Amino acid sequence: MLRISKIFFWAIVAVLLAWQLPWLYNFFFAKSTKSPFTLYSSVIGDFAVIDFDEKDIIYTDLAGNIYTEDEFDTVLPTFYCRQLMADGRFPDTICGVKVNPHQVQVENFHARYSPSDINKPKIGLYALLESMSGRVDLQMPDDVFRITNEGIEFIDMESNTINEQKSQRFTEMMLRKGFKFPATTLSGNPTDRKEYDEGYVILDAEHKLFHLKMTKGRPYCRAIELPEGMTAKHLFITEFSSRRMLALISDTENGLWVVKRPTYEVVKTGVPSYNPETESIIIMGNMFDWTVGISDRESDRYYALDANDFSLLKSHTYDTPDSSIVGLTFTSYNDEFVRPRFE
Amino acid sequence: MENVIECRNLTHYYGKRLIYKDLNFNVPRGRILGLLGKNGTGKTTTINILSGFLQPRSGECFILGEKIGQMNPETRRRIGLLIEGHVQYQFMNIEQIEKFYSAFYPNWKREAYYELMSRLQVAPHQRINRMSCGQRSQVALGLILAQDPEVLVLDDFSLGLDPGYRRLFVDYLREYAKSEDKTVFLTSHIIQDMERLVDDCIIMDYGRILVQMPVDKLLNDMHRYTATVADGFSLGEAEGLYNPSVVRNTLEVFSMRPQEEVRAVLAQQGLLEVAAEKVNLEDAFIGLTGKY
Amino acid sequence: MIRAIFYKEWIKIRWYWLLALVASIGFSGFAMLRLARAVSLKGADHIWQVMIDRDAIFIDLLQYLPLFLGLGLAVVQFVPEMQRKSFKLTLHLPIKATTAVSVMLAYGAVMLLTTFIPAILIKFCYLQSVLAPELWQHILYTAAPWYMAGLAAYFFTAWVALEPTWGRRVLDGVIALLFIRIYFQPAKPEAYNDFMPLLTVVTLMLPLLSMLSLTRFRDGRQD
Repeated sequence: MLRISKIFFWAIVAVLLAWQLPWLYNFFFAKSTKSPFTLYSSVIGDFAVIDFDEKDIIYTDLAGNIYTEDEFDTVLPTFYCRQLMADGRFPDTICGVKVNPHQVQVENFHARYSPSDINKPKIGLYALLESMSGRVDLQMPDDVFRITNEGIEFIDMESNTINEQKSQRFTEMMLRKGFKFPATTLSGNPTDRKEYDEGYVILDAEHKLFHLKMTKGRPYCRAIELPEGMTAKHLFITEFSSRRMLALISDTENGLWVVKRPTYEVVKTGVPSYNPETESIIIMGNMFDWTVGISDRESDRYYALDANDFSLLKSHTYDTPDSSIVGLTFTSYNDEFVRPRFE
Repeated sequence: MENVIECRNLTHYYGKRLIYKDLNFNVPRGRILGLLGKNGTGKTTTINILSGFLQPRSGECFILGEKIGQMNPETRRRIGLLIEGHVQYQFMNIEQIEKFYSAFYPNWKREAYYELMSRLQVAPHQRINRMSCGQRSQVALGLILAQDPEVLVLDDFSLGLDPGYRRLFVDYLREYAKSEDKTVFLTSHIIQDMERLVDDCIIMDYGRILVQMPVDKLLNDMHRYTATVADGFSLGEAEGLYNPSVVRNTLEVFSMRPQEEVRAVLAQQGLLEVAAEKVNLEDAFIGLTGKY
Repeated sequence: MIRAIFYKEWIKIRWYWLLALVASIGFSGFAMLRLARAVSLKGADHIWQVMIDRDAIFIDLLQYLPLFLGLGLAVVQFVPEMQRKSFKLTLHLPIKATTAVSVMLAYGAVMLLTTFIPAILIKFCYLQSVLAPELWQHILYTAAPWYMAGLAAYFFTAWVALEPTWGRRVLDGVIALLFIRIYFQPAKPEAYNDFMPLLTVVTLMLPLLSMLSLTRFRDGRQD
């Protein structure tokens, strides 16, 4: 027993050292590099960059051109739309396309997802809003749903009881559309602080993609045809104000896809590789192009996509070497779980 | 005679400080042995080794034939232990503590305990930490008597006791040990108590044993010699003469050698008028170990 | 003999145990009353929504209670053993020293659990009446590492209390403190779910540490 006790004691000491020593080192000595603000400009056909040179802000691009602040606004006219409007400098056309500020603002969007959005404990209860109430403002429902092995169940929150009728209605509709319970993953954005509601995109037990929402109290369920050979893995509902797309999808090969609205067409983007489980992504879009920034431990990769066909226009990689040393940790930037791991 | 306690080549250090080296002693069955020594000579160290709360640097000790440290728990049932300061579980009262210990000892003598307790002026529900040191000593003694062990190891039993309780403890213990043929190993810093109690004594000096013998023999052999001497007198070295000192022209020296031999040695140094007297245990102890 | 050790432990901890039980039930009851008030003021649907959207669990105030209850129990159980070295008495009993210490630790751990379980039951009883299983499980799973930390605090404190020297006691205390932090990593509710089996096994092994203190005590280590 004494022997086991001693081994156990030293094991504990080893765990604590493997945890605390690298932490101390990283806390005091590790430096992480940050890449500069980078956004694609269709005006110059290059990435525009805001860099810092010993406190001075430098407006530049990858080709090395230097801009004044005012010039830079016109390099990114959709991004600095409000500034240009305020200055009375908003152009009539951008890249030969007639534009107005309202149109630009509706088409602009940004989205940001990190691995911890996916790798986290999930409660498994979701609110399904009414998508077509006829009112301008959305309202939170008084029930939530769960998806079981047999179907979808709506639970009334006030009485903590299952609404059998509604559950049956939705389950039947989903089954009729070919949905195989249970769901593998789903994505929605259940909040009343958004312009419109598209409900949920759901992968069923056979990795088939469905769109589920509630319109006028009735279930709306539609199977979304996925291209041959593509297996969807992670879903991100978008609900951007342009209403041009329903969701982003990542597949098992780390491809990034767009589900277009209202056609439900699934199109592959020119982003070469994105793994939502280990990489964070930021997408800044406008009516001409998207800038997709994907970050992992070693680098920040920037991809410019055409806003219409999502083809790759240009890419750039910043190395962001991380001088921190590997040690035992219990938490991670990549997930919301507590468990021992080395990173 | 069978040895109930045997210690062989005990050596111990605290850090780098040597306490003693190659200490050997035995305690035969039925004897009461007292360990005497000044502070810091290793009395408590020895008791701690014997009671299994100190691993000596080297050497080994056996009680009832079993090596301490690897002792079968059953054997501890036959050993009574009194911890320095008569420590007992402070948070119990005299009834609880009796109930607790009785579960461990099949031959538990409840009456022996309660007989002793009945003489104490304590309420049955009074907790031990509310008792005087004297009362606590009686509780500890009562528990040992009820346990009825073959061997008793007592660490400084006189600590904190007033003369009445000390006498009570000594008399009770001696009577008990002698009538039941118990073997006792004890220490005390009050040597008068030992004289009434112990059969044999071990007198320790720093790092070694000075004498181990029956108290009777020690008191029979040991004499104090005094003589009047001139100013500046200093006694030369002589075998068997312990701790000579001169205070106001009076020489005092101790020896266990026969009187005639001692007188002859002193005569050689010009001391012809020498008085010899018997000593008590305390004097013998001081004679052997010195006052400092 | 083992029952006698239970008896001795009970005498040491009984008042503290009662206090811990009252505190444990009291705090849980208070948390549930507060939640019930929120339900009656804002409606159950509001409670469900903030749980689903904003990671609310409504029992945050109970987070460190088991920790302190465990620590306190070990103090009232093992500090009296160390006062004036009474632990020597325990070790002199005709029972294997490791058995004696194991029995003491097992008894203490079970008694600690008896203060936790009613509190968990109170939470369960109320929560399942107003919340879906996903949600009340969400709350109880989130609290699981807190209760495990209570058990760990008990075992760690016992280890430190039984250690005979102050120098080593400080070192052990630092180790214990660092290790306890593992149970309180900043995290979302239910973040510990996957880690709990391993954490439980490790926690249940912590009594092994007390055996080191026991050995050091018997070897006579001193300051």
